[in-house]
Amino acid sequence: MSRHRIVRNMNIQDELDADAGDFGEEELTPEQEEQMAYGLEQVRHIIGSERESGLDDETIKNALWDQYFDVERTVQLLLEEQERRRIAQERKAAKQQEKAEKLAQHKKVAETASRAASPSAKGANKSGARGITSTKVTAAPTLIRNVVDQRELDMSGLNLNDDGPAVDEEPPKMTMAREKLLEEARKAIEASESRKRGVSLVVIGHVDAGKSTLMGRLLYELGRIDEKRRIANERGSNKIGKGSFSWAWELDGTQEERERGITMDIAQQSLSTPHRQITILDAPGHKDFIPNMISGASQADCALLVVDASTGEFEAGFERGGQTREHLLLVRSLGVSQVIIAINKLDMVQWEQSRYDEILGQIQLFLLQSGFQQSKTSFVPVGAMSGVNLVNRRGPDAAALSRWYSGPTLVDLLDMLKPPSRNITAPLRFPISNVFKGQRSAYALQGRICGGIVQVGERLRILPGDESALVKYIEHEEENVEWATDGSNVTLYLTGVDPVHLNVGSVLCPPSDVVPLATVFTARVLIFDVSVPITAGASVELFHQAHDVPASISKLLATLDRANGAVIRKNPRVLTKGASAEVHITLRSSAYSGPNARPRPIPLETFAVNKEMGRVLIRREGETIAAGVVLEIVS
Amino acid sequence: MKLVGKYINKEGSGYVTLRPEDDEDMWHLYNLIQEGDQVRAPAIRRVQNVTATGSTDSHRVRTSLTLVVTHVEFTPAITSSTADTTNPNSTTSADVTASIQISGRVAVENQHARMGAYHTLDIEVNRDVRIIKDQWDSIALNRVEESCVPGRGAEVAAVVCGEGTAAFVLLSEHLTTIRHRLTSSIPRKTSSSSMHEKGLTRFYSQLYDAFLRHIPYASPTIKVIVFASPGWIRDSVYDYIVKESERTGNKALLRAVREKGVKIHVSSPHVHSLVEVLKSPVIAAQLKETKFAKEGITLDRFFKMLGSDEMRAWYGPDHVALAIDRGAVGTLLISDQLFRASDPAERKKYVGLVEAVKEKGGEVIIFSSMHESGQQLNQLTGIAAILTFPLDVEVVEAEEREAREAEGEERRRAEAEAAGNKS
Repeated sequence: MSRHRIVRNMNIQDELDADAGDFGEEELTPEQEEQMAYGLEQVRHIIGSERESGLDDETIKNALWDQYFDVERTVQLLLEEQERRRIAQERKAAKQQEKAEKLAQHKKVAETASRAASPSAKGANKSGARGITSTKVTAAPTLIRNVVDQRELDMSGLNLNDDGPAVDEEPPKMTMAREKLLEEARKAIEASESRKRGVSLVVIGHVDAGKSTLMGRLLYELGRIDEKRRIANERGSNKIGKGSFSWAWELDGTQEERERGITMDIAQQSLSTPHRQITILDAPGHKDFIPNMISGASQADCALLVVDASTGEFEAGFERGGQTREHLLLVRSLGVSQVIIAINKLDMVQWEQSRYDEILGQIQLFLLQSGFQQSKTSFVPVGAMSGVNLVNRRGPDAAALSRWYSGPTLVDLLDMLKPPSRNITAPLRFPISNVFKGQRSAYALQGRICGGIVQVGERLRILPGDESALVKYIEHEEENVEWATDGSNVTLYLTGVDPVHLNVGSVLCPPSDVVPLATVFTARVLIFDVSVPITAGASVELFHQAHDVPASISKLLATLDRANGAVIRKNPRVLTKGASAEVHITLRSSAYSGPNARPRPIPLETFAVNKEMGRVLIRREGETIAAGVVLEIVS
Repeated sequence: MKLVGKYINKEGSGYVTLRPEDDEDMWHLYNLIQEGDQVRAPAIRRVQNVTATGSTDSHRVRTSLTLVVTHVEFTPAITSSTADTTNPNSTTSADVTASIQISGRVAVENQHARMGAYHTLDIEVNRDVRIIKDQWDSIALNRVEESCVPGRGAEVAAVVCGEGTAAFVLLSEHLTTIRHRLTSSIPRKTSSSSMHEKGLTRFYSQLYDAFLRHIPYASPTIKVIVFASPGWIRDSVYDYIVKESERTGNKALLRAVREKGVKIHVSSPHVHSLVEVLKSPVIAAQLKETKFAKEGITLDRFFKMLGSDEMRAWYGPDHVALAIDRGAVGTLLISDQLFRASDPAERKKYVGLVEAVKEKGGEVIIFSSMHESGQQLNQLTGIAAILTFPLDVEVVEAEEREAREAEGEERRRAEAEAAGNKS
């Protein structure tokens, strides 16, 4: 410690000067002596006496020696030196002041130590980081000296001891002002351009297309599942006679899902490819669970469609009533424009290229009709069970495919996904998609940030309702983070709120900028392929983020031209398939009459203000009948 | 409901005395009593006496009052707190929870209430109510008749559930009563914890408790107990109830669930998916003759017609009236809400429409707005018709306009002629 103090207090300049001095003690010739005397006089003349300049004769002499008695250059050098010393001095003073401040703060913390224990790893990180920067300079010369025990030096270099006993148990407080935070976030996003960029992906497709299996296998191939776990899953699934579901077990965690061999709810996982950090949302394919699929798809940037290539299965999933089409339309209406189509189970048809091309053709046509840009869609043949063409095409199983396919693998395509631009300056919107009890009296909320930025210590309003809560920590990709921005799928841990106020579908927002609540709004909708046309008063289910509420289409305002939005007909009697229209949507109360007849409003924003918060889907009797955007909130 | 007395003269004015017995009867009364009618019923009135010295004393008297109705309000049973939960065998239709309040001015003076004084009557079960109308129309008379048919139609109990939500509903001829709503937050699955399973188990046990409390499963009037849900929740719920009733030795429940329990797939966990329940073949076969099943089927037929042949499915009072004029209406769907219009002329208009359809041999179905199908019809302006032959709305409208214009022109010509004659 004492040794280290000496190191710390040493000034690098002094050190260097001393070295220079050593050189100066070389013998001087009389001629040189003369030159030196003359030079010294000259220099003194320019920079002033020792008192004024703070430079003694020795220094000047050394400098002259170094510059071969060139007065001009010596003066320049000395002036620089002078400046350097001044800065060093200032820094030293600042450091002392900071130390004093920190001491005072610690005292304060000690006083309020009885308050909630709140570990802030960030605190430690912070001081650690600062320590490194401040000691970098001092550490340099000691390396030359190479005297002290290296490890001790490293430890001390972190400056941990300087802080005294680690007292980090203060309540989470806002670490930064909003502007500063935004600045930092922006920088981080820019920085991530070069490193891994985060993107979220929803996995969709008809029931039994192999979505969960594909994801399970992919996680294994990328090393996210260890061997032990794989064997446990394999053994477990064989035991109940469903050996083919062993890969899916990683994602289908609940007992019922495993017994039935069907995904029922969204499973969230993360994986990383060379250039992307991908949040995977594995959606259920069964049509009864489309509400769950919607809540997953509304949290995603991109989609991965899994198609079953085996004979008859592709057709079953793709024709009317199959989920292949419906899922594609749903994700498109939720704003997903990039989609990768994985054509799975090609091993069932002996890896025939003709089958692949046939399916590709049919899907391509449909994608084009439903408004996907060709440049943003890509196709890849895979064999999920045997792991063919996920990461590579090695192994005997892939030989048949390699004969005719030489394109990218699934991971290659995932690696090229383009994350959309993030809007971090917008007010925060965080629709809750899952609530559970976290550790240490905090409640955990999962969801995706739809605009804005959130940081630890912020107080957030929960709408609908009058409650607010404090953000205790934020978890992103299984790591604690200081702040999170638009587009990231995070878990927020809240304190200071009764869990009855935390409902799936509620929205967290800053108290200064609350999200509007609506019971009646106008929307511009596109009618899907419906069997029964939509009349005024049709009772429907409205999906918005994780919300699923009964509503009715209360008024048909106008039918519009799909291409240019011009009004074709005002007050139409019915809306038939393929029409684009402007309608009034009213939430329905759940009671038939009486005092509870007022419906509960939902948080909603117009599409112009916040795209993700302004998209709605309309379903009726298990069929998606329309998708739309909110134009105006009426009440 | 019991018909205690009835006198209606040839002009259609007169009175009917009824004795309500259950929730359903309350609903009938609510639909019978209109603004401007006179109602005589037992009432409790607070009477205030001022003595000579200026001190007041007030007491309540039970008396019969006759009011001229200005306002009627119906409060449906939301949750029955009065239901006897301890003895499942006693849970018959006796627990009446719906109520009607009739406000108006006293029309017949007595010693407690002066003429013109305001009063609000609470209609009670098993107390006679006399309704005096100046004009008893066919709709009202039909309703009286219908309400007094002894023996109820089948009642259905239903549990509509989803993951974490459940609604306990009783369906009778004219009423859908949501007895209880249950919501329980279930954490979503995560690979590492069992919170999801725990949440589910808690939900099932809550659902079981609520089922015992709110579904009168042992009542003989309940014909079917429906378990409806998307996915497989209904199976799990059914199994859980069977298991629990076995464990606790609740034989009545076990028998009821085994005999009457039906599992039906619906597409959403909302109460309005009851429409799908009524459409399902299992239920439709069992309840074919009941009114509410018929309503559901007819409305479905209308929507299907709208999809297949738009020209044969019309809605909206004006359009339907035009169709009736042309004798095109095969089935008229009309909501009872329209007959509750406060304006007698309005009601008369709809009564006229109904009678016109009946005259031409059409079928008229009056929907109860306390059912989901009635609610949907209400959203659709409350009146709709399935036509026997296709008619284009626009053509008909154009014809009407021409006819009106022609009429106007004729009148103008007649006027002009009259003026010409005069001069």
